[in-house]
Order: sequence, then structure tokens, then C-alpha cells
Amino acid sequence: MNKTILVVDDSPTVVKFVSFSLKNKGFNVVTACDGMDAVEKISNMSEKVDLVITDLNMPNLDGYGLIDTLRHNDQFADTPIIILTSEEEEEDKQKGVQVGADSYLVKPFKPAVLVSEVEKYLK
Amino acid sequence: MSEVINLQDKIKTELLDISSAINEIVESYKKLHSPLIETKENVPKATEQLDKISEQTEAATHRMLDTAELITQREDEVITGLNKIKQFVQDKEYNSINEQCDELAQKASDNSNDAFVIMDALQFQDITSQQIDHAVVLLEELGLKLHKILTVIGGSEHADGNQPTNSSKKRAFDPHADLFDKKTDQTAIDSMFSKK
Repeated sequence: MNKTILVVDDSPTVVKFVSFSLKNKGFNVVTACDGMDAVEKISNMSEKVDLVITDLNMPNLDGYGLIDTLRHNDQFADTPIIILTSEEEEEDKQKGVQVGADSYLVKPFKPAVLVSEVEKYLK
Repeated sequence: MSEVINLQDKIKTELLDISSAINEIVESYKKLHSPLIETKENVPKATEQLDKISEQTEAATHRMLDTAELITQREDEVITGLNKIKQFVQDKEYNSINEQCDELAQKASDNSNDAFVIMDALQFQDITSQQIDHAVVLLEELGLKLHKILTVIGGSEHADGNQPTNSSKKRAFDPHADLFDKKTDQTAIDSMFSKK
């Protein structure tokens, strides 16, 4: 059965590009436009989310808030989370580690790098 | 003597009025100083962002056009290749058909990869929209500061009804987003995250 990935980003362009790159490799993709939307979607989903890819700068609930929410939910305590952001400051990466993300990729990204990172967790 | 005292009082009153006027000017200057400094700083920042947008949009567009040109060129080669196959079938040159099919498969694969190159280049839209959001916020702040300055200079009539407001769109952006100026070492990041 194909693995399901939740992609969270307020940029429709990024959501489309990430989804296309992952679907092309056989993954199921569910998308959300910000952290709040992601929390709502996963609470109404029947299928298991195997991995989360999230942006940091988003309205309503940002990436840190989303990761923190997921890490405090038993169902997502061990789900791999990849941050995909244009933020390059050391502080952001440190904060990413602190809230419990597993990996951090900087935009603009290469689809091959993203897919390889996803496959690292979903072998 | 009383005339001298009257004169002194008049001078004293005049001096107090002058002093009060000077104080008002100083207070107004203090109120203006901060918005003026911020305005001075925001204008070049907004200009810099707009320059970046123009430069990065142009570079991404060129990359997409160059790639689209390659794809079109390969499509022409595919049509030529298919015509060759028709000829090979007629001439029963089956080995050549195989070779030609391999070539066409390679071209299809190259075109698929180039479609990714175009999508990759389209990521400029995400980066430049963050730069535009940053420029918009700077310009909105500038509007508010100028309003403040006009209010101080011109009095309350400038404050009536024309208060500039921030746009209703919720903006979440990275003010340093950049398409080219990357300082990221992915290996160092991976190492940082593997230690968690």
C-alpha cells in the first residue's frame, strides 16, 4: 500500500510542485494551506499519515506550532516531519530541532533531494 | 519705574510665549524624528526587494524559456524519428527500428526531466511572492508614518478619515527569502538534526 504524505504550505505553487514530485514516485499526497488547516484535516482523516512536510512561515498556525501540536498527539509522536522553508537562519534550524522536526530542507529545493529525504524515512 | 516693570512683564510674557513655541517645535520634531528615520530606512528596503523580484523573475523566466526551447527541439526530433521508423518498416530494416526506438525513448525521458526543470524554476513564484509581501508591508508602514508626519505638520484635519490601514490579507513571509543567494550547507543541517 502506498504511503501517505501530508504537505503543508501556504504557497499553492510549492504545494503543487511538492505533490507532483511525490505522486510521481508513487506516494499518496494530502495537502493543507496552513498549520490550522493541517490539524483540521488530520483530525478528520481515516487513513494514516506516514510523513509530514511543512513550511514554517504560514498564517493562522505556523510550522513550529503545527509540529508542536503533532508532537503532543500520541498518533503523531513518532511520525517523521520534514521542514521545507526559505528560512536559512541558524536560529530557525535550532528551533526546528527543539520542536521535534526530523529534517530541514531549504527552498528552492531539488525534487530529487526531497524525494531522497522522504524515502530515507519511508523505506 | 512702573513703566520699566510693565515693559519687563511684557518681555517676560513674550519670552515665555517664545519658549513655549520652541518647546512645541521640539516636541513636534521629536514626534517626527522617528517616523522620518523609519521612512528613510523603509524606502531603500522596499526598493531592494522590488529590484530582487525583477532580477529573479527574469532569471527564472530565461531558464524556463531555454528549457522549453530544448523540449520543442526534441519534439521535432521525435517527429523526424517517427518518420524514419515508418521508412525502416517499409525497408524491413528491423535493427534500425530498435535503435530508433531507443533514441526516441531517451528523448522522451529527457523531456520529462526538463519538465521538472521548468517546475523547479517556477519555485521563483513562491520566493518572489514572499519578497512582494515584504515590500507591501514596508510600503504600508511607510504610509502610516507619512500619515503621522502629516498629522504633526498639518494638524488634526489630516488625521480625519484618511488614516491608511494595513491590507486585510494575512501575510506570513520570510523577509530574507532569496532564489539565488543560498548560504545553506545541507550536510551541516542534516548533522544538526541527526544529533537531536
